[in-house]
Amino acid sequence: MRRRATILLAVLLGTILTGCGGREPAGREDGRLILAAPRDLVAGPRDPYYTHQTLGVWEPLVTVDDRLRPVPALAVSWASAERGRRWTFALRDGVRFSDGTALTAESVVAGIKRFLRIAPRQSAFFSLDAGMEGAYGKVADVRAEGGKVTFVLDEPVADLPGRLAGFSSMVQSPAAFTASGDFAGKPVGTGPYTLVDWVKGQRAVLAANPHHHGGAPAYETVEVRVIPDANARVAALRAGEVDGLIDKGALLPGQVAAVAGDGGFRVVRSPSVLTHYLTFNASRGPFSDARLREAADLAIDRRSIAGTLLAGTATAGAGFLSPVFGDLAVPGLATAYDPVRARELVAAAGAPAEPVTILISSAETGQFPYTDIAEVLRAALEQAGLPAKVTVAEATKAVMEAGDYDLFLSAYSVPNGDADYLFRRFLRSDASWNVERGLGYRNPAFDELVDRAAAETDRAARRDLYHRIQRLLAADRPMIPLAYQDNPIVTTGKVGGVRQNAAYVVDLGKLAPVR
Amino acid sequence: MTGVVLRRGTELLFTLLTLSVLVFLLTSLAPGDPAEEILRRGGVQPTAAGVVALRAEFGLDQPLFTRYLRWLSGVLRGDLGRSWADRSPVIGELLARLPATLRLAGAAALVAVVLSGVAAVRVALRPRAPGSRAIALVTVAMAGVPPYVVGIVLIGVVAVGLRALPTGGDVGPGAVVLPALTLGLAGAATLLRLLRADLAGSSRLPFVKLATAKGLRRRRTVMVHALRLAAPNALTAAGMVLAELLAGAVVVETLFSWPGVGQLAVTAIRQRDLPIVQAYVLVAGVATVLVLALTELCLAACDPRVRRR
Repeated sequence: MRRRATILLAVLLGTILTGCGGREPAGREDGRLILAAPRDLVAGPRDPYYTHQTLGVWEPLVTVDDRLRPVPALAVSWASAERGRRWTFALRDGVRFSDGTALTAESVVAGIKRFLRIAPRQSAFFSLDAGMEGAYGKVADVRAEGGKVTFVLDEPVADLPGRLAGFSSMVQSPAAFTASGDFAGKPVGTGPYTLVDWVKGQRAVLAANPHHHGGAPAYETVEVRVIPDANARVAALRAGEVDGLIDKGALLPGQVAAVAGDGGFRVVRSPSVLTHYLTFNASRGPFSDARLREAADLAIDRRSIAGTLLAGTATAGAGFLSPVFGDLAVPGLATAYDPVRARELVAAAGAPAEPVTILISSAETGQFPYTDIAEVLRAALEQAGLPAKVTVAEATKAVMEAGDYDLFLSAYSVPNGDADYLFRRFLRSDASWNVERGLGYRNPAFDELVDRAAAETDRAARRDLYHRIQRLLAADRPMIPLAYQDNPIVTTGKVGGVRQNAAYVVDLGKLAPVR
Repeated sequence: MTGVVLRRGTELLFTLLTLSVLVFLLTSLAPGDPAEEILRRGGVQPTAAGVVALRAEFGLDQPLFTRYLRWLSGVLRGDLGRSWADRSPVIGELLARLPATLRLAGAAALVAVVLSGVAAVRVALRPRAPGSRAIALVTVAMAGVPPYVVGIVLIGVVAVGLRALPTGGDVGPGAVVLPALTLGLAGAATLLRLLRADLAGSSRLPFVKLATAKGLRRRRTVMVHALRLAAPNALTAAGMVLAELLAGAVVVETLFSWPGVGQLAVTAIRQRDLPIVQAYVLVAGVATVLVLALTELCLAACDPRVRRR
């Protein structure tokens, strides 16, 4: 009896452990790629875009490279006239949508008019809100002229291609939409892949688009699984269930060294649009005193934070705009780590009686080691003579609006090459961030420079204006950049052609098996 | 029996109404502005106009009581509203996730009941055998180890090391094994402790000793007579374990990327998608109340003393 039971148990365990058919075979058949991402890269028919740009189902007019420079996608070239009041985009020839119809200037214009009609609208990826204002806020008219797309603007805009890059200039076939602007069915784009199956929150299955203008992609099918937990993603990679991890936050900083140390995997680290900033509450003491803001700035060892706490996935911050902004990032601006000078400044200004509050959001502690960074900041401030405490809040907006903070640690990004966005939305005297969160930053010279830079169409003059703006901010210190964050992604050594732009977009069409 | 059903039914209605008020108040009064959080999902600071428009669309500009009445009337009509994150109907979201949760809960309950039942009888039959002592030791150890640690070990050994089963996701029939084992082992430890103690107690009762003295086989004495007497406490605990499983094992579903209602709730909480969170808490509450009521009815059917109360 006992022997029978033992045999039965062994058979049962054997059946379970050999897979019951649920396990992926170790070597996948050619032409199929399985990736995993922390979030669902398909948002569904009620989202303005339906899918993320990374899936390669649709393409924009303009995209960005790894330095946030606007580069051609469906538009091959562009030109401005009337000092930036008129922009014309020439389209790539011979492009067809996945339903076989031809891409025309009229279809591009129809897509842009749809955006304008349905905004503001939230999205899982990039809400049709602030970005729309940046891209289309000054557009008086958009029309198709001689096979090209022409934008007529109310005011000069120096960097319209950069502002349109990515989601803001998504192109899909007009047949994909109903009259109200919702999706009529699946997305119909021009990208290397089409969406063939989607299980919400679980996986998206893509098939090669036979009409793609760049030729057929190397993989016939790409499956992108959703694995929200960071450890589960790496476990799936190590178990051979997926061939790579992509998208924003694919690998946490603490995971990179271990994964990169495994010879079977290739980690691609590329700079991202994300920067960790420290925002001062200068509308009250102690940081209304510029000397104490400088003291806090000098007390922070940015290199240690970037190299140790962020595990080398970030570089120490200096200028307000990170190096991904290319020549707009101010060169030669270095931040000093000088705890001795910091102590002198605190002694001169007088240390506050109450500890200063370092505020962090609980929502961000999962992705970045903000609890550790905040503790290091607290220790650094205390060494400089500024007593400090750390507060973790879920709703940081409410805390900040109540003025109940002195320093706020958070990460911000720009979705495209729109440098104006950060200054206008965060720091201008009337910026919602500045006013509502009580930053207390008022500098008419800064406001004027921001307005001039936004309207300046001469590239060199505009660059110089942005450099002046950043030098001004380095002196005023309303917000200081702590570290510029990379976005590491990983694939097995069998997948080649992996590139990621600064906005976390991986070109799936360029991925190919390594023979 | 009819009295038990009627009393339970009235209690259930009252509980659900209280639950609905609590659910709505707690989620609505949480700090922060969901409209702003949702607009900022792409990492971009929203405009004031965008936030105002979205607040109006969600009805967040209405008084709390008006919003509660509107929500409650929707719930009574079977309309749980639409997700704020992507505008899909909440009821559809829950129904899409429910089969996975039911499958995991069923498999985990099976593991818990079978393991605890077999082990308890084994211990009762040979209380001094080394195997029984080992079971007792493992039970205590399992009760002290959080399920996510068990899950991490199982993933590391079985999925990554042996590559025998998937690390997570609902990618085939084998995928349920590891999360079910993780949850089932925790449930089994709870049930086994109760069952073992009660079996030991009931085995010492005179009628059991009499049965043994009259020559009834030890196995039959324990399994038919003693186990039936020892079952009520374990049955109550099993009801609670099942209720927890049906509410979605949030940690284990996250660890194994299991697409159940627990994972849906976690995502919704992160996104401040209140209609989903409210519906989840409500459904989890209803499931818990129903399972506990069902457990009591089972007890009443088994035990005349409960019916007389």
